[in-house]
Amino acid sequence: MKLAVVVQRYGQAINGGAELHARYIAEHLARHTDVEVVTTCATDYVTWRNDLEAGVEDVNGVRVRRFRVKHERDPRVFARRSDRVFEQRHSLADELAWLDAEGPRSPALVNHLARHAIDYDFCLFFSYRYYHAYHGAHATSSRAILVPTAERDAAIGLSIFPPLFRAVRAVMYNSPEERAMIYAIAANQSVPGVVVGVGSDVPTNPQANRFRQLYDIRGPFAVYVGRIDGNKGCNELFDFFQGYLRETAGRLTLVLIGHSLLPIPDHPRIRHLGFLGDADKFDAMAAADLLIMPSYYESLSMVTLEAWALGKPVLANGKCDVLRGQCLRSNGGLYYESYPEFIETLRAIEQHRWLAGTLGRNGRQFFRDQYDWPVIERKYLEMFTRLSSETPTRTVEPLPGWFGRHRRDLPAAEQVLGRLPTGPAVSRNDAAGQPSGSSGHSLQGRRRA
Amino acid sequence: MSEFNIRSETLNVEQIMEQIRSRIREKRGVDYTEQQIRELAAVKLEKVLDPRSVRSDLLEQFRKAQPPDAALDVPNFSFESSTLFDSHRAIVRFVRRLLLPILKLFFNPNPLIQALHIQARLNTIQAEHETAHRASHHLFYELIHNLVVETTRLAIEVKNLKMRVESLSSRLEFNERRARGLESVVVYKTSAVDLRERAPAPADERAGAPAAPGPQAAPAPGPQAQPAEGPGQRSRRRRRRRGRRTGTPASAVMTGQTSSPPQDEASDHVARDDFENVSGAALHRNQPLSGDDSVTGATRTPHAPHDAARSDAEPISEAGPTSASDAGSPTRSEPDDSNSQ
Repeated sequence: MKLAVVVQRYGQAINGGAELHARYIAEHLARHTDVEVVTTCATDYVTWRNDLEAGVEDVNGVRVRRFRVKHERDPRVFARRSDRVFEQRHSLADELAWLDAEGPRSPALVNHLARHAIDYDFCLFFSYRYYHAYHGAHATSSRAILVPTAERDAAIGLSIFPPLFRAVRAVMYNSPEERAMIYAIAANQSVPGVVVGVGSDVPTNPQANRFRQLYDIRGPFAVYVGRIDGNKGCNELFDFFQGYLRETAGRLTLVLIGHSLLPIPDHPRIRHLGFLGDADKFDAMAAADLLIMPSYYESLSMVTLEAWALGKPVLANGKCDVLRGQCLRSNGGLYYESYPEFIETLRAIEQHRWLAGTLGRNGRQFFRDQYDWPVIERKYLEMFTRLSSETPTRTVEPLPGWFGRHRRDLPAAEQVLGRLPTGPAVSRNDAAGQPSGSSGHSLQGRRRA
Repeated sequence: MSEFNIRSETLNVEQIMEQIRSRIREKRGVDYTEQQIRELAAVKLEKVLDPRSVRSDLLEQFRKAQPPDAALDVPNFSFESSTLFDSHRAIVRFVRRLLLPILKLFFNPNPLIQALHIQARLNTIQAEHETAHRASHHLFYELIHNLVVETTRLAIEVKNLKMRVESLSSRLEFNERRARGLESVVVYKTSAVDLRERAPAPADERAGAPAAPGPQAAPAPGPQAQPAEGPGQRSRRRRRRRGRRTGTPASAVMTGQTSSPPQDEASDHVARDDFENVSGAALHRNQPLSGDDSVTGATRTPHAPHDAARSDAEPISEAGPTSASDAGSPTRSEPDDSNSQ
């Protein structure tokens, strides 16, 4: 079996969520089947500049075929077209123009897929919202498997995507919330799909003390790992955490790991360590008392899964359906939707060690059950086997004619997004989770004991 | 404060979150969202803050009073010594400069030039001040806006706290009444030995024999002979003594019988109390005291003087009983207030 993993950027130094996801999947599936990565020469997701050479190279034992991006992204054009399709009534042509402006526009990549589709059994397309996925999946629809990595942002409300979700052979979802959202927008329940996600290579013996000594961190601390950005909810995190320091007698320090696009508050108990390598990152998470994930938009949150893999509780932003759903399904973390909830949940985790311990243990079990690599690989291979035994019946819905494409009758994507159902996709049984049988305890009772 | 009821092994995050939210509600009263608070601040301010007479349209008034946000466009020009004689035509400029000495023969233009130059500078300074002033206006607006929102929030909180205090007061009052009621009916269980001792005693013997303090009725005082006092027993006894002094029984207060009984009646009650203690009649509260008249006459004599003397002379202390009868015999049951006073 030969697989093509098609992704917008690829490389060891590329740490974007979907790109890292694609690399992990490619490397793990390469143990079972012949994998070729089809990607662009770009490394910068803002400009899509051709930083790498076109051609074939080997990355971690996986063959990578790169194609040049035809033109870099013009931020002004992209912003203008984004405003139009997200906020105004627009046409299908506007949306296609937006897709071109977003990039990475690489007709060579799409042509290669169209010409050599027959060489691959299946093509795994990562990130539904980019040029390569839309046009590549149209070129190879009978072999296309989509890994949407869809977040709850306005792009999901564009009218060009529902036909894409219906045209592919299968969809590999990251979370039940993502699946529910795509079902609601595309009504593609008939398309085979499975919630898979991605695993992580978490070290078995992280060195928590080494991290504490190296960075001179004493006492309990909460860690945030990721880009320090307003879009990730970091402003709110800073406000809330400073409030926690003011109003409570909590002893936690906030340790921030990642590149910062924001000014970090000048407070002795807020430490920014910058970008750290994987070893240091895992050591930090092992040393931490909990992980805080303040992001509003996540399709999976690998960092959260890594914290759970290390047995650490998570405090997540409950306004993000995916994070909230993960907390409820795993019983491995608490969530907040307001400042008082942030204070109370943080204090509960800090003060009740048994609660933190139980959350962490539940999280670790959840990770092992759902996101361990053998589980992930099995789900992919089962899907390939299933699709191999079926005859493809779905075809790509053709685009309307010129007049149809230019008729401005499509609602603003923001409006469409606003109509989508919200909330975590958790059934009562899922939420109940664990087997019952032990007696009740109270936090206060335990504290006194 | 509510507790988190969580099963340690079957931890349910949804349940914990529900309990955390209820805890927050308890702390903060009604759980308004930011949006709701803003709406309250904008719309219902007058109602919420009526006692303080804060104007609900304060923000609107301030906004109207503000100068418009248009860019500051104050007419100004730079005025130099040559400005009066400038022209875009070179020839005109040349002629004016040529004739300037002649002009100066008629009047002195220098003060005029200086005055206009100063005025131009003043205009510039004024424009700068005006710009700074507008910037501070924005700050004031923000400040007032935040103050109004916070005042609303505080008003809501005060209202919640008031309601909570009222609720707590009524609960406290209820609990006090309940405690008093319970005190009036509580019966201390005597030991099985005492019951055995009391059981064979015939009614007529009890009635005929004076219930004088003896080795059986009142054992020797001391820590060994003292029965285990229940919680609050000592304080109740103290209260009873105080009641004897004041004369108004708590039960009477409870039942509305506020008039104090006559002195002899009170002593009669005291005697009956002691009788019951000795004879175990307190164990049968629901049964009428059939031999009251005869019994009281027999029992009053040995006990009443002692009790009266004790109530007058003995200080109320927790040092323990000072006499055999006061030490509290094993058969002594705690009388209720209505009988003791």
